[in-house]
Amino acid sequence: MSLKLDYVLRETASNFRRNITLTLATVITVTISLTLLGAALLFGDAVDNATVRWKDGVEFIVFMDPDISAELEADVRRQLEDSPEVSGFAYIDKDEAYAEVQDLLGDSPELVEVITPERLPASFRVKPTDTLPERVDELADAFRAQPGVARVVTASETIRAIEDLSSGLRQRVIIIAIVLLVAAAVLILNTIRMALFSRRRDIEVMKLVGATNWFIRVPFMFEGLVQGLIGGVIAIPLIWLTNNFFSVINDDVSLELLRGFTVDPSRVWTLGFQMVGLGALVGTVGSGIAVTRFLDT
Amino acid sequence: MIRMENVTKVYKGEVLALQNATCEVQRGEFVFLVGPSGSGKSTFMRLLNKEEQPDRGRVFVAGKDIGELPSWKVPFLRRNIGCVFQDFKLLPNKTVIQNVAFALEVIGSPRSVIKSKVPAILELVGLSKKMHNFPDELSGGEQQRVSIARAFVNRPLILLADEPTGNLDPNTSLGIMTLLDRINRTGTTVVMATHDRSIVDKMRRRVVELDRGQIVRDQSRGVYE
Repeated sequence: MSLKLDYVLRETASNFRRNITLTLATVITVTISLTLLGAALLFGDAVDNATVRWKDGVEFIVFMDPDISAELEADVRRQLEDSPEVSGFAYIDKDEAYAEVQDLLGDSPELVEVITPERLPASFRVKPTDTLPERVDELADAFRAQPGVARVVTASETIRAIEDLSSGLRQRVIIIAIVLLVAAAVLILNTIRMALFSRRRDIEVMKLVGATNWFIRVPFMFEGLVQGLIGGVIAIPLIWLTNNFFSVINDDVSLELLRGFTVDPSRVWTLGFQMVGLGALVGTVGSGIAVTRFLDT
Repeated sequence: MIRMENVTKVYKGEVLALQNATCEVQRGEFVFLVGPSGSGKSTFMRLLNKEEQPDRGRVFVAGKDIGELPSWKVPFLRRNIGCVFQDFKLLPNKTVIQNVAFALEVIGSPRSVIKSKVPAILELVGLSKKMHNFPDELSGGEQQRVSIARAFVNRPLILLADEPTGNLDPNTSLGIMTLLDRINRTGTTVVMATHDRSIVDKMRRRVVELDRGQIVRDQSRGVYE
């Protein structure tokens, strides 16, 4: 049996016109939920980017002078190894530092261009045994005095607060987005049920003369798919807007702590297309459930 | 063509619609199903195109036990069985020609087939002049002709007619019977449930009488009572 494309398109178009208000409500719900979900995921990425240096219990970073001699660097390393107050450390050489910068500044290649590995400092990321802020500060001060050390940066309580806040916020937004997405699926299910009900005579005749269930099902599932797709496509520019808001935060000089609070544009696009795919999935599943339940009874 | 073996059908566990019914209909036969309302005539028909499943017994159509037919194959069974009803079941927002074409469209017939078959069948039922009218612009008899055209356009092996003259006056009913008779003469097996005494007595075809779900009479060239 051949399912003709023009038949499916005609049916979908006429159902759209018939239930325009319900369709509109469905599309808006899909858009809002996908935008929220996309923004929450994007926000999480941005926080990760801004705090990538402070992962896994790293409390301060010792930046070496870029032109330091190997002996002086070995001195610092030995001191870290010997100190009972240091539970572990990671050495980031110039090349690794460069790779990280490239990641962070992926969307501004002109900045990456002027930076070379030689100009970046090597660094030690230090995990102290005791994470009390006062003790960490004391330890950091000790390294600050070392010859060959350019700078010591401690993870301030602000960073920790941002991390905590962001993970809590992100979780909540994702939960809201999922609830909305379920609501969107239920709305799609209902829209399709209305469409089915208004066409129940046609469907009765179709079953009577031997139309297959898939033949009856596909136009309605296509309608749900289109609703989900439209919602997803509208969500893309809205997700872009939230990304622009991140750039504003990033450019604000007073928020220097959040340096790196941006997301690569390619990541935004990927996320956008994932949201479109999710919308299509929700639409197809919702309408599929509606039609299957209708045909079974 | 059709065989029922000891078929019992009970609705909701208490309403006995058919009780141990056994019946065989040969290819090309014309059979009247008679009996009072609720005697199981409609159930008899609904079992044949698998709108209902028997609780006991087996139903054969064209030599196949349709109880063993997987549900995805049921549409293909129905393409071999045309159905006509008392209330026509035409789609009010489609014209005569669209109503008939719809039956071919939804089983995926090519457009060229639809273009040649539909006008031909409308010619057969005598509605060539009204093919662009909507159902509510037609008389009851004309509407029933459209519904017969729709049921027969696909040349099914079997035509099931559930009180096709139930809503029509005697003269119009006769016209419908002439049409069904012509269809029967093309080799199509026709099973018709009816309350219409005068038609049964006039046609003198095989009569199967049902009473409270049991076949109480099976008579060739029979009368209503």
